[in-house]
Amino acid sequence: MPSSPREFSLNPAAYGLPTRDDLVKLRIWDMHYHGFLSGGIPAHEENLFYVERMGIERMLSLDIGGSPEDPLGTTISPEKKREMREYLQKHADRVSGLIPVDPGQPVESCRKMEEWIAHGPCIGIKYYGGNPMGVPCSDPNNDVIIRLAAEMKALIYIHTWLQVGGNPRRPGGKNQPGEATPLDVAQLAARFPNVNFVCGHSGGNWELGVRYVRPMKNVYIEFSGSDPHSGQIDFTVAEVGAERLIWGGHGPHRSYSTELAKVLDADLTHEQRLAIFGGNLRRLAEPIFREKGYKL
Amino acid sequence: MLPDRNDGQAIDRRRFVQTLLLPAVLPVAAALTSATAAAEQSAAGPDIIDCNVHLFDWPFRKLKYARTEALAAKLRQHRITKAWAGNFEAVLHRQFDAANRRLAEECRSKGEGMFVPIGSVNPGGPDWEEDLRRCHEEYRMPGVRLYPAYHGYRLDHADFAKLLAETAKRGLLVQIVLRMEDERCHHPALVVGAVDVGPLVELLKQLPQARVQLINSAGPLLGKNVAALVQETQITFDIAAVEGNGGVGRLIEGQLYNYAGAIPVERLVFGSHAPFFPCESALMKLFESPLDLAQLEKLMHANARRLMG
Repeated sequence: MPSSPREFSLNPAAYGLPTRDDLVKLRIWDMHYHGFLSGGIPAHEENLFYVERMGIERMLSLDIGGSPEDPLGTTISPEKKREMREYLQKHADRVSGLIPVDPGQPVESCRKMEEWIAHGPCIGIKYYGGNPMGVPCSDPNNDVIIRLAAEMKALIYIHTWLQVGGNPRRPGGKNQPGEATPLDVAQLAARFPNVNFVCGHSGGNWELGVRYVRPMKNVYIEFSGSDPHSGQIDFTVAEVGAERLIWGGHGPHRSYSTELAKVLDADLTHEQRLAIFGGNLRRLAEPIFREKGYKL
Repeated sequence: MLPDRNDGQAIDRRRFVQTLLLPAVLPVAAALTSATAAAEQSAAGPDIIDCNVHLFDWPFRKLKYARTEALAAKLRQHRITKAWAGNFEAVLHRQFDAANRRLAEECRSKGEGMFVPIGSVNPGGPDWEEDLRRCHEEYRMPGVRLYPAYHGYRLDHADFAKLLAETAKRGLLVQIVLRMEDERCHHPALVVGAVDVGPLVELLKQLPQARVQLINSAGPLLGKNVAALVQETQITFDIAAVEGNGGVGRLIEGQLYNYAGAIPVERLVFGSHAPFFPCESALMKLFESPLDLAQLEKLMHANARRLMG
């Protein structure tokens, strides 16, 4: 069994697939990385084998200083927080951090943003798929978080899904309390037309999710974390253009293969692939990366 | 720390010839013997058998590779040279024989021998024995594909046990589809429950000659049954729904987070779930995990050949 991440028993090109070199040349930036979520830094470092093997250039971790159960990280020890800050500073060429916020606790969320973004290594905020108080990101009380994020030039990533269920059964009817739909993102984007948002998972139910946010030019669509459906990216590009798509890997829970395949399946130009795999995200992240002196 | 990520990578002989030498030596290349070409092919790795594709139309979306010729061309582009094909119509239609007949004819007339027709029967419905007989005797199908979640029966249904016995007697493969689509994304009009695979263990212990494969068998769908299915039956699994970084390799090692146990490589078969999934998804999984050549051979074709007999 190959022990090096760069060693392959067969050549992927012989199967009509990109080689590792091909993937490296695409300059893939992963907007959706969960490598620290279960197991912290050691688990992430173990997962780097696959990151390296699949030629991923940079990961944006969405779980810095928080978790779905405790978005603001109130149960994380100061020692662990310090350890994570130091890790992100040391590996700023490879990993970037987004911090979970809680729209049910806007004041505390803003305090966390000051600590981790204004006075720390992180570059954005993340809304989980639900939160303890069940408050959606479109709640007006959450606007203070968006205003502060805009001031900080921080990336804003919002998990969205349209889970089918409820009575009557409908898309979004089974969402968790506070779990945003693409409609929530569209409403937020309308209130903040000069702020960019990343609509995570394309709403899960992508045929609907894309249409909810299509008119909002300040909404980018990230499409990881769902099964790979042939035709998904062709559809999305036709609706909103390749310049609004952002790739996410959703590792280590999802396979990189699953997420890469969504793009490889689509009929795109090389330039469009470059944009989706990293170019669009670099453009979006450029202001805060420049401010922090991170490599683009 | 990992070395610089832009270090060069060795180019294998096949690719080197294709990219650099071929235009200049075209006349010479034309004169190469077929033996040389075969040797190169062998050096580049084996062709692939895909145990999990469907033909015709998915009821809820027009798929990109819904046309049989388009799917065949796409699979061939990735060196998938045989594909065991079910019929999307069998998921919701009730005239199984019509769907099976159409599938057999499609596989016979299109794809230049790529597609192996896998019919469908509903052991929870009427006269399934006759549907099964026609699949085997009239349409010469080597197996049947079941959709218990869509057809509304559980695997402890008495007629399911009868079907297993009958297929074993006939030497037919049985593919049980655990999921077609993530339940969170279903059309709201569709209420499809999960398939409990638990009853399979006892059934197959009583029927060791039965050849059964679970399709789209994501870890959470197998629940706590992985060890029993592996140790007490000869059941096989396809890789279309295996998720996680390095998922296939980790599954073989018993280290995959959402599977309650290991599945040996001998029990895994390449399946893409195309054209619903892009075939690139399952293909890339072969390379995402650091598998050795012997493991790849088993996944790509050897296990499928053994299973089909």
